[in-house]
Amino acid sequence: MSFQKQLSSGEFVVLAEMDTPKGVDISELITNARRIKGRVDAVVIPDMGDGMMRMSALGGGVLMHQQGIEAIIHVCCRDRNRLALQAELLSAHVLGIQNVVVARGEEMAYGDHFDAKPVNDLDEIGLLQAIRSLQEGVDLAGIELKGSPIFTVGCTIEPYVDDKALDRELELAQKKVEAGAQFIITPPVFDMDLFASFVEKAKPLGVPLIPTVFLLKSVGIARYMATTLPAYHISEELISRIRKASNRELECIRIAGEMVANLKQLAQGVHIVTLGWEYQLPSILDYSGL
Amino acid sequence: MITAERKPIEEILEYLEPYDRILLVGCNECVTVCAAGGRKEVALLSSALQMARMKSGRTLEVREMTLERQCDPEYVEELVNFIDQAGAVLSMACGCGVQEVARRFKDKPVFPAVNTKFMGASERQGVWAERCQGCGDCLLGLTGGICPIARCSKRLLNGPCGGSTDGKCEISPEVDCAWQLIWERLKALGLEKRYEDIISAKDWRTSRDGGPRKIVREDLAS
Repeated sequence: MSFQKQLSSGEFVVLAEMDTPKGVDISELITNARRIKGRVDAVVIPDMGDGMMRMSALGGGVLMHQQGIEAIIHVCCRDRNRLALQAELLSAHVLGIQNVVVARGEEMAYGDHFDAKPVNDLDEIGLLQAIRSLQEGVDLAGIELKGSPIFTVGCTIEPYVDDKALDRELELAQKKVEAGAQFIITPPVFDMDLFASFVEKAKPLGVPLIPTVFLLKSVGIARYMATTLPAYHISEELISRIRKASNRELECIRIAGEMVANLKQLAQGVHIVTLGWEYQLPSILDYSGL
Repeated sequence: MITAERKPIEEILEYLEPYDRILLVGCNECVTVCAAGGRKEVALLSSALQMARMKSGRTLEVREMTLERQCDPEYVEELVNFIDQAGAVLSMACGCGVQEVARRFKDKPVFPAVNTKFMGASERQGVWAERCQGCGDCLLGLTGGICPIARCSKRLLNGPCGGSTDGKCEISPEVDCAWQLIWERLKALGLEKRYEDIISAKDWRTSRDGGPRKIVREDLAS
């Protein structure tokens, strides 16, 4: 069953994020994807996440499609103007991509081409409106298309440090939903109670929420994130659990697996992010019981 | 200078619809030079607004003021004795001035009466043209004193492109090809050799692309 059908029938969906290579050697990506084929419902391909130059999300999505794996590709406004974005979306549909997520696109300054000129011709709402327009058969210049694409369209919510920031995110998410977002990928969850209250607050949005499960790879990473990214709400208890484990790497995988299992009660899916440890995805799925 | 043009009066009237008493504030600097928002334009707009209001059966009380520089807190402070009597401020300064007034008087609506256009120079009486985009890393020393960022339609660092014909840009016969101008200028200076140098891809961080910019002069900052 397709991701779109699962989503609309209320089934729990499992998504795994996989980055494209920085170069043309796709062997690792393909090997990792094959390992989880049939165990995840779709693979999410970021659009040069963190502003790092890589093979495009569309390229990665097509590779997944060739492997018989459904893909969800990110599209962001940082690197392309409205012509290029629309052209890419038309190409994506024709090449078999059925799902897109309108992503924020991190600041160029954080990436590896920090001297590049960001585009940002449209913003996320503008891009969602563009997708809707293309689906209705008209481009942003008002010109009729010869055949229109169909996508299941998602958006993201940024991590929130407190209730005030969350309210702002939810207001923005409301606009994104009105502009055409059919599901929302939410920030990494490390605190189930906090996520439960988020779910309550986000209910009026009326679209499926797919929380991110982020694999903490070490005590160092957990500590770093807890200190520098308070919006991730990583507790001392969690850090201490990793620190005390005899096999810390395995403990991190176990934590991610447990998180996936717990989220099954609260959300309509999970989006597993391993940032370079995609080979560990099968183990996370094992520990999740999925 | 920063150039500007007055907004259509219909748009200004729409902003002012809820108010019967406003403070109309001009600026004695750039917008005076480009005849968009100086003392004279303040007086003209004031009359036009009041007449338009009377036509619709209402009145509009306008207090006119023109500050020395609206982008400077020291001068904006001069509004302090008049701000309370006004329901809103209509600013005829560039976007910098509008924002400075809004920053100083946080509970007062401030509306722009002009569209800020570009940093430019006066070509002749009544004609201003774009000359600088404030990229933060001036190239004029390499290009004979003519800016390809501000004056080439494609911002080419190594031009011209195929759209250059008889010294004009393909976007309009009114627009000079910046790279034709650069070539002619380098030739006149005997610096043709410089044209052969390739200018590397620009680091846009110094421009607006690196986010909103600020200059802090430690020797002057208090």
